[in-house]
Amino acid sequence: MNFKPHIFLLLLLIVFSACTKKDDPPVETKQKIKLHFYHKVNGEEARFDTMIYENAAGNPYLINEIQWFISDLSLMKSNGDSILLNDWKDIHYIDTDLPETHTWNVFDNIPAGSYDEIRFTFGFTEEKNQSFMFPNPPERDMFWPEFLGGGYHYMKLNGKWNEPNGNITPFDFHMGIGQIYYSYPDSIIGFVHNNFRVSLPNSAFEIQENEAMDFNIIMNIENWFKDPHVYDHNVWKGYIMQNQEAMKLAKENGHNVFSVEEVK
Amino acid sequence: MSFNRKVRNEKWKIKFAKISSRPLRKSFADFAVKFISLFAFFVIISLYSCDKNDTPGPQKHNPTPYEIEIPYGFPTQLNIPEDNPMTVEGVELGRYLFYDGRMSGRTHPDSLMSCATCHIQENSFECGVDHPEYEGGFTHGITGKPTPHVMLPLVNLVWNDHGYLWNGIISEDNPDPHYQNIESLVWMGIVAEHEMNSDTNRAKEVIQNIPGYPELFEKAFGSSKVTVKNMSRAIAQFIRTFISANSKFDKYLRGEVQLSPSELNGFVLFTTEEGADCFHCHGGSGNPLFTTNLFYNNGKDTIFNDPRDRYAITGDPQDHGAYKATTLRNIELTGPYMHDGRFETLDDVLDFYDHQLLWSPYIDPLMHHINDGGVQLTQNEREDLKAFIRTLRDEEFLANPDFGPPEKFPDEL
Repeated sequence: MNFKPHIFLLLLLIVFSACTKKDDPPVETKQKIKLHFYHKVNGEEARFDTMIYENAAGNPYLINEIQWFISDLSLMKSNGDSILLNDWKDIHYIDTDLPETHTWNVFDNIPAGSYDEIRFTFGFTEEKNQSFMFPNPPERDMFWPEFLGGGYHYMKLNGKWNEPNGNITPFDFHMGIGQIYYSYPDSIIGFVHNNFRVSLPNSAFEIQENEAMDFNIIMNIENWFKDPHVYDHNVWKGYIMQNQEAMKLAKENGHNVFSVEEVK
Repeated sequence: MSFNRKVRNEKWKIKFAKISSRPLRKSFADFAVKFISLFAFFVIISLYSCDKNDTPGPQKHNPTPYEIEIPYGFPTQLNIPEDNPMTVEGVELGRYLFYDGRMSGRTHPDSLMSCATCHIQENSFECGVDHPEYEGGFTHGITGKPTPHVMLPLVNLVWNDHGYLWNGIISEDNPDPHYQNIESLVWMGIVAEHEMNSDTNRAKEVIQNIPGYPELFEKAFGSSKVTVKNMSRAIAQFIRTFISANSKFDKYLRGEVQLSPSELNGFVLFTTEEGADCFHCHGGSGNPLFTTNLFYNNGKDTIFNDPRDRYAITGDPQDHGAYKATTLRNIELTGPYMHDGRFETLDDVLDFYDHQLLWSPYIDPLMHHINDGGVQLTQNEREDLKAFIRTLRDEEFLANPDFGPPEKFPDEL
């Protein structure tokens, strides 16, 4: 039998194409961003379960855990256009006890180019904060009771502070939907959505074709208690889910809680 | 190969031989033959390489998948190990074994012990405080040795992804493969001194020699040989079917019934920080399991020396005195309460959370009423809270015949 190289090659091509033709991905440029979440106090990585911090009101305090949601991640362009990154999953849960939640691989492909700012919603908008949307843990355990407005906690920041009388008392700095009471605590006549947009300062960046970029999103914890309102645990005590006045202060302090670093 | 096919192949061979015996020359026929033979060769390779994973081979063992229907509001993620998929045959076998006292490796009527000896359906698969043998609900093994902690109910465990037992030692995070899931609890139950106090060889030999069981193992797992691994798998499958999702509160969530004013007020108290604030650890409408399955120091003690608390597992000082939050489904039936059974009644538990909390450095931060001694409810509020908690009782679950003992064991069929 004469050996025919061209026939052999043709047949080899048939053999391999028969098995692999469905798996070939289309060729396209891909620009990706990855967010890493950090929690800091006074510029240093937060240390948990240790009474080593003091807030602006002079309350000695410790942090046990932080659980929170970020949503509606957007990239702003200089001409005012924005890209809402929500093709696949537009809500991310972060839990200081669960390292797997500390990174968000944003699914969307980012168009190459320059961006002026990164923005996101702390918690969720009213439209997106729907009860029963997370049936599974850990997100499930963030549910906000129906009676208090439903949906989910935007954040649980749990810790303890040292009262002037020496008592070490837990505080649950929980943010979510606030209530307007006709008569406290039984009669509610309205709800307040305390979510807010965060514009990360100094977050301009340029992404090239096929480039992957990493950003560190930092929660500067001490700022929850500092600016513009000095938040005193001795005044607001250990729980605020039914205290819209306290949540309003927390929301207004939230404007400069977050910062970003591009990872080189 | 059939006779006809054999004949056809012989004919093809003769034909091919005739063609092959011609003098070599560059003719179209030669080209065609070479092309066809080469093509056939590659097609065979191609088909083999493509089809080897797709064509099912002969299947001797083909059990029927057991489908779990997710109730309204319940988690969609199930904790079913990949190496023990739920099957109708596995669940059926597990039911026999769960109720068969010969699981203990003994046959004398006075020394039988099964899972159901302590795990009684009408008590949400706990023994109950009025058990004739386990006084006050405190269980002991067949030798009389007390169990280190009181029981936990077997309910909705197919959704538990945070470890089993009070300290969560049985967990997928445990590097020891023998301590990872419900399956592990079965062999532990067989060998533990404070439970069946048997050995696995004896248990499997006894079951192997009971007529009917080998056939059931064959149907469930493809082998009539009884192994402790397959005994554990079967019982774990059966336990994973124990789903409670039809209490009055479930019906309320589905819009089928209304709660009474007292029950509704109790629900509000349950889910508000100004009220009893139970929901952060015990769930609610957003978590109908009525437990996070997580571990908390809830303020019972100031000195911590239990070698089986959560700290013993994690080594994290914050876990001193921390134990699993139990589900509140059917809670009125599952006393005594807390890991050591220190509270006999539900009222005792409410007293504790109302004004008996004890501060320690390890108190969970969610216990923000700690320095008030508790949540300080009025008597009416307590009654309302109890009324709500009673809506979590699921009579259908407690009497579901699918979870009950079989009418006959395999050797009686």
